[in-house]
Amino acid sequence: MENKFDCIIIGAGNAGLVAALELAKNNKSVLLLEKGKTPGGVSSSFKRGRFEFDTSLHLLELMGTKQQPGELYHLFQKLGIMDTIEFSTLSDSLHVYEIEEDKEYKLPFGIIEFMDKMEEYVPGSYDALKKFFVLAEESKEALIYIEKNRENIDKEYLQKNFPDFLKVSTHSLDKVLDSINLPKKAQEILSTYWVYFGSPAGKLSFVHFAIFVFNFIAHGSELPVINSYEISTNLAEEILNLGGKIKYLSTAKEILFKDRKIAGVMLENGEIYESKHIIANLSPTNVYGSLVPIQMVPKEALKLTNSRVLGARGFSIFLGLNQSAKDLGLTDYSYYILRNLDSNKEYQYRQSIKNDSCVAYVLNNVNPNCSEKGTTILEISSFFTDDVFSKNATEKNYFDLKSIIAANMIDAFERATKISIKPYIEEIEIASPVTYARYTGHPDGVLYGYKATGMDNLLPRLLSLKEENFIKNLRFCGSFDVKLSGSSATYLSGDLTAKLTLEDMMEEGNEEWN
Amino acid sequence: MELNLKGLGKKDMEFFEEIPKERKKIIHSSSSSAILTKFNSNELASILHPKVQHVSVIDIIEENDSTKTFVLAPNAEKNTKKLAYFRPGQYISVEVEIDGCIYHRPYTISCSPKNVFDNLYTITIKRKRNGIVSNFFLDEVKVGDHFSISAPMGNFYYEPLRDANNVIALVGGSGITPILSMAEAIKDGILDFKLTILYGARTKKDLLFHKELDELAKKSNLINVEYILSEEQKEGYLSGFITKEMIDKYRENETSFFVCGPINMYEYVNDLLKDYQLPNKYIRHDAFFGRVDISKNEDYELTILTAEKKVTIVCHSKETLLNTMEKNSVLIQSRCQVGNCGFCRSKLKSGMIRTIDGCLRKADEKNKYIHPCISFPESDIVIELPY
Ligand SMILES: Cc1cc2nc3c(=O)[nH]c(=O)nc-3n(C[C@H](O)[C@H](O)[C@H](O)COP(=O)(O)OP(=O)(O)OC[C@H]3O[C@@H](n4cnc5c(N)ncnc54)[C@H](O)[C@@H]3O)c2cc1C
Ligand code: FES
Repeated sequence: MENKFDCIIIGAGNAGLVAALELAKNNKSVLLLEKGKTPGGVSSSFKRGRFEFDTSLHLLELMGTKQQPGELYHLFQKLGIMDTIEFSTLSDSLHVYEIEEDKEYKLPFGIIEFMDKMEEYVPGSYDALKKFFVLAEESKEALIYIEKNRENIDKEYLQKNFPDFLKVSTHSLDKVLDSINLPKKAQEILSTYWVYFGSPAGKLSFVHFAIFVFNFIAHGSELPVINSYEISTNLAEEILNLGGKIKYLSTAKEILFKDRKIAGVMLENGEIYESKHIIANLSPTNVYGSLVPIQMVPKEALKLTNSRVLGARGFSIFLGLNQSAKDLGLTDYSYYILRNLDSNKEYQYRQSIKNDSCVAYVLNNVNPNCSEKGTTILEISSFFTDDVFSKNATEKNYFDLKSIIAANMIDAFERATKISIKPYIEEIEIASPVTYARYTGHPDGVLYGYKATGMDNLLPRLLSLKEENFIKNLRFCGSFDVKLSGSSATYLSGDLTAKLTLEDMMEEGNEEWN
Repeated sequence: MELNLKGLGKKDMEFFEEIPKERKKIIHSSSSSAILTKFNSNELASILHPKVQHVSVIDIIEENDSTKTFVLAPNAEKNTKKLAYFRPGQYISVEVEIDGCIYHRPYTISCSPKNVFDNLYTITIKRKRNGIVSNFFLDEVKVGDHFSISAPMGNFYYEPLRDANNVIALVGGSGITPILSMAEAIKDGILDFKLTILYGARTKKDLLFHKELDELAKKSNLINVEYILSEEQKEGYLSGFITKEMIDKYRENETSFFVCGPINMYEYVNDLLKDYQLPNKYIRHDAFFGRVDISKNEDYELTILTAEKKVTIVCHSKETLLNTMEKNSVLIQSRCQVGNCGFCRSKLKSGMIRTIDGCLRKADEKNKYIHPCISFPESDIVIELPY
C-alpha cells in the first residue's frame, strides 16, 4: 500500500468517519485508523442470543423530514447515505417520574402542544415558555450565523438580529429561566433534559440547552430502523468506495513531526504512514498527553487541556426481554426515572454509587421489528458524576458491582412504572465507564467529552476555534471538540473539521505557490 | 421583538466580546505541567481486558490418554506481571505458531477465578482427530513453553439478574471445563447458586475431573454431580443418555439449563428439553448453537485482499475460510471461532458461501460482511480483510 496520504484520520467514531468521507469526496487520499475491529466508536451494536443491541443511540435530533430537512439530513444526503438508511420517528417527547414527590409528567412533541400540556401541569407557565422558545430559536439562528462567520463576525448584524441572544449568551439555564419568570416546577420539568448534558441547570449553558430542546420539541427526533451501526458501516463503505483506506485493529501510538511540522502517524506495531494533515477523533487529553511527543506540545495546549474537566461517566444496561412491549405494559419509548426534578439535587445523587436514577428506552415502541415478535429491547441508561464508579470498582468486585448497580436501576424502574421486567430478562449486558474506557480509549471512559460549563461551553469553544489550533494541520473532531457530545453533534463535528482541514490544505497550496 | 429579561444585567455585546478573552484568561492561569494520562477506568479496563497476555506453561497434567491440562502462569520477561480476572465460563484465545503458520484457538479457563490471585490459569485440551492445534498441544508442548493469549472473553457465564438460582448443567465429554470453573467458583464463594451437573461420557475413563468433581460435591452442599455412561455399565453410574427422569430429580419451578458439549449432544438435549416448554432464557449454550451441512466435496480458489497485498490460495468446501487462511499463513484475526465475537469479520467481495444464520449484525449482513470462521465456500471466493 502507498503509505502517503493527504490526510490521516485517527479514530473511526461518528466524527472521524464523516471527516474521512468528506475529504474523500473532495478527492483527497485518506487513511482512517481505528483501534477497534469495526467502525463507529460508540455508534455500534452487539449481539446476544437473538437480540442485537445498539450501543449508544437513543435520539438523533436535527434529522427533520424529507419535507423539512434538518442539518443532519442535509449532511447525510450530501454524504450519500440517506437513500440506504431508513429512519423512524419518536412518538413521545418526555415521560418523567419524580420519585421523591411521587409525581409523573408526560409531554408531547410540538411547541404549542408542549406548552399547552405544561400549562395544565403548572398553571401560569405558558407565556414564559413561549419566551423560552423564542429565545431558543433566536439562539439557534445566532449560532448558525456565528459558526458560518466565525472569522469576521459583524457586530452590528448580531446586535440587530439577535439582541436577546446576546443578553442570554453567557448565562446558565436556571438564571435565564428565572429571568423569564418560568414557575419553578415548570423549570424543573423542562430541565429534565439536563441528563443528556451531565451538568445541572445552575451550570448548564442556556444557549446549548435551549437549542437542543428547541430542535427536539419543534422537530422531533429520529432513529435509524436498524441501528446506529448501520450508519457507521454505510459511512465506512462509502469511504472505501471512493478509494479511501480504513485500517482496523490499528492503534495510533505517535504523531510524527519533521522540521517541527506534522509528518505522519506511527502505529503500535511500528508501521509508519505519512501525511501533512491529521484529524484526531480523540480527546486532546490523549493526543497532547500521549500521541504528540512532549517537546512538540505547545505550552498553551497543555494549559488548555489542564484547565478542562472531564464530563459525566455513562452506565448502561441492555436487556432483551422475552415478552412483547405491549404484553409487559410498556407503551412509551422513553421513561425518565429521576429521584428529584431539581437538577442540582439530582446531580448530587449521581455522585453516589447508590444512584438509581435512569432513563429507560423501549426500542420496539419506535422500531417494532428491532427484535423478534414477542420480545422487547429495553435499554436503561444513566451516568455518574466524576469518577465515582471507577473509585469503587476493583478487579475483584467489578462484575458484582455492575450487577448491583444494574439491579438498583431495574428496581427503580419497576417501582416507578409498576411494570415488572425482571422475570422476563433473557439477555443482559451491562456497560460501565470501564467498558467505555476499553472500547473508546477516552480518558476515564467519558462519553460526553469535557464538561461543557462556564467558559468551556459551546459558544466560548466556537469563538476560540481559530486561536486554539495550536499545532498547524492537526485538527480535532468528535465529542471532545467544539460541537460537544451527542450523535448528531459529532457527525456535524466531522463535517466542520473536514472543512477546516480543506482550508488548511488550500492555505498550504497557496504558500507553495508564493 | 426584544424580550424583557429580568436580572441578567445589560451585558449584551460587550459581554459577548469578552467571551474569548475570559476563556483565554482561565487557560492562561491554569497549569502547564504534564497532562494527566492515567485514569482509574482505563487502568481497570487494561487489567480486566489486556490486549494480550504473555504466559508460560508451568505444569502439564495428563487427564486421560487424549486430554491434558496446561497450567499457565504470567511471563514476566515479556512484561505480563499478572493474569486478568475472569467470569467462570469465559475463554481465552491462544496464539500458536506451527510450521510458520499462526493459529488462534479458544479454550475455556477451567479453574476458579480465585486462582488468578495465585497467578495461574488452567486450560484443558482434548485431542481432536486431524486437529492442528490440539495435537500440537498434546504432542509438542512442554513445561517452559511460551504463548500469547487474549484477555478472557465470551458470554457464557452465570448472571444473577437473568439466570435461575437453580442450575442444571447438561454436560458431554470435554464440555465440562466451563462447568468445572463455575463449580470451583461456587466452592470458593465467588458464585452463589445451586448447581447440578449431569455429566455424560462414553466410558468412565472419558469422564474428566472425576475426582475433582466428587470432591467439590462433598465440600459444597450447593453442588451435585451425576455421571451417565453411554457405552459402559458400572455400579454407581447411571447408564445410557441423559433422560427426563434424571432432570426431574433436580428440576425446580425455576431452573436454568446450561448445555455444554459436542453439537450432537446439543441437538439431543434440545429435543429432550422441548417437552418442558421452557422460555429461551432458561436454556443457555456454551457456544453458538448451529450446524452447517455440507454435501459438496470440492476445491475452489480463494483470493484474499489486504491493504498491502493480494493472495490467491486453494480452499475446500468442507473447510472454513478461516482455517484455510491460517494454514496458508495468511494472517487473519480471530477469537471465538464460532461466529460470535466478530473478530474475523471480513468483506465478501464475490462468491458464495454457506454459513450459520443469525451470527451477523444486520448492517454487516446488508453490506455483505461474513465471519470466515463459520463460512464454507460454495464457489470461488474473493474476500477483503479489514486491515
Ligand atoms: C450509552 C450511550 C448512550 C448515548 N446516547 C446518545 C443518544 O441517544 N443520542 C445521541 O445523540 N448521543 C448519544 N450518545 C453519545 C454519542 O453517541 C457520542 O458522544 C458520540 O457518538 C461520540 O462520537 P465521536 O465521534 O467522538 O467518536 P467515539 O465514538 O468517541 O469514537 C472514537 C474512536 O476512536 C478510536 N480510537 C481511540 N484511540 C485510538 C488510537 N490511538 N488509534 C486509533 N483509534 C483510536 C476508538 O476506538 C473509537 O472508535 C450516547 C453514548 C452512549 C455510549
Ligand atoms: S472468530 Fe469470532 S466471529 Fe469469527
